[in-house]
Amino acid sequence: MKFQLIFPKWRKLEGQTTFNLPPHGAIVFAATIPDYVEVEFIDENLQEMRYDDDVDFVGISMLLTTQIKRGWAIADEYRKRGKKVIFGGIATMLHAEETMEHADSVFLGEAEGHMDKVFQDFRNGELKKFYNHMNDLPPIEIVGPARRELYNRDLYYHKGVQMMDLFHASRGCKYSCYPCAVSYLGGRQFRPRPIDKVVEDLATIDNNRLFIVDNSLAQDTQWEKDLFKAMIPFKKKWCSHTIEDKPEVLDLAAQAGAWYVYQAVFDTSNYIKERVKRYHDYGIGVEGTILLGLDNQTEDDIKRLIDFLLEIDLDLAEFTVLAPFPHTKAWTDLRKQNRIFDNNWDNYNAGQVVYHPKHMSAERLQELYQYAWDTFYKDETQEEKMFKLLKKVVSREMEDGTFRKRRQDLSKSSFGKQVNHKIV
Amino acid sequence: MEGKAGNYQDEIYHFKGLWDLPSICGLKVVNKENNTVVIATDLFEQNPGTSITEWNTKLAKEICDQRNIKHENLIFIEHTPEKDTKLSFNQESFFKVSFDLVNDKFDNPKWEELTKEEVDKLITE
Repeated sequence: MKFQLIFPKWRKLEGQTTFNLPPHGAIVFAATIPDYVEVEFIDENLQEMRYDDDVDFVGISMLLTTQIKRGWAIADEYRKRGKKVIFGGIATMLHAEETMEHADSVFLGEAEGHMDKVFQDFRNGELKKFYNHMNDLPPIEIVGPARRELYNRDLYYHKGVQMMDLFHASRGCKYSCYPCAVSYLGGRQFRPRPIDKVVEDLATIDNNRLFIVDNSLAQDTQWEKDLFKAMIPFKKKWCSHTIEDKPEVLDLAAQAGAWYVYQAVFDTSNYIKERVKRYHDYGIGVEGTILLGLDNQTEDDIKRLIDFLLEIDLDLAEFTVLAPFPHTKAWTDLRKQNRIFDNNWDNYNAGQVVYHPKHMSAERLQELYQYAWDTFYKDETQEEKMFKLLKKVVSREMEDGTFRKRRQDLSKSSFGKQVNHKIV
Repeated sequence: MEGKAGNYQDEIYHFKGLWDLPSICGLKVVNKENNTVVIATDLFEQNPGTSITEWNTKLAKEICDQRNIKHENLIFIEHTPEKDTKLSFNQESFFKVSFDLVNDKFDNPKWEELTKEEVDKLITE
């Protein structure tokens, strides 16, 4: 049986450097598909759709809200050709009812332990309209290594430099933050993978740089320390969301190859300033993530925040505007206050204002979002700052013998497309 | 308890939320001469499932049916207790929710913010 697994493309944010990282959820899901199924993966961000391929069954993996309308359009094309289509993934879970209108089947929850049944149902012509496993999360121990061999690897290079591989060490989250849907998606309990399973997965990754995509590793200190200890021998360099800033954790993280971490900057306090400094003291870079448009922010607050970012020596900063994704507190609050004016999911990309902010107009927030990017990167562009971070990791890789040279055969292409060099 | 439900919660109410997720909220039911005030309290991280706002149409109907509350007499209030943070979106809030009754189901929720004093008046006077 041939199964075509699609990762739909989406519109990238204007003015920002676009990097196409190899998608993660789809290949983690692919690892749960029975052995008798031949799986082919298409990342539409980099590959053309092939609706007329000879395949039996189609899966659409959706990660982002801004991706779902494209996913629906793809499904419609396949279904016109008589192919059965199943949807899964995070954005499918956020938009399940709407997605059902474009699907033969919708899978909700985590796939481990359930795909034998789904594919058996397909073979028997008994595919269910939906499979609800939201309340039936699998034991975390059975999450196996992702199927990275499904990638068309050469596409994930920019001028000969390989993009990071994505990796996850845990699921679920004990926090329930205002703009975040992770507790709805992965449960309100932090579920760390056993360290031996993490090691098994890490050993399959032919890449010396990783992005650990977990929502927050800072949820269980002992496990976090065990994780970093286990990562040391792999000598990989990685970035991640928040890690704890206790000295013993930072020390192990640095030994394990921490390259840079994301740090939410939500005010101008010494707490943030000192935290950034602590990371830097251990040689770990910091990318600030700054969410604009919260109800406690006035125009002056936003401007002060941006000035503060320039003072605290961040390596990078990423600005977003609040996007009220379904099943978040932000969504329910703004909905009941009747403040959401744009229901086009294409625009829920965290770069476009879709609601009325409390202390300014939507247009003004949109301007301040642009002002934030422009001001932070005025003296040094995003690419220049990234290059500085890259130089740091290269020097560490040179020291420990893990540096990989740029691939010459791909040096004139970027994500599978030829790069036109300017002749001055 | 994460939030501060205070006088607005007499019991923990268990319900099946979206996709049958086991869910909980705080509940206070005040029967008055001409109406019944139902206050559902969001329990944040304690709630493993669906929020009261997402499920209000079904939750309100379920409570009406279980407690023999006439639809036309229902005053349904969503209560979000204060959390111990300095962020403004974690401040206490009360919203009265009105519904259309369509084929014996609640639909089309409309929210109206109330002050704490207005809620106190509703449940005491």
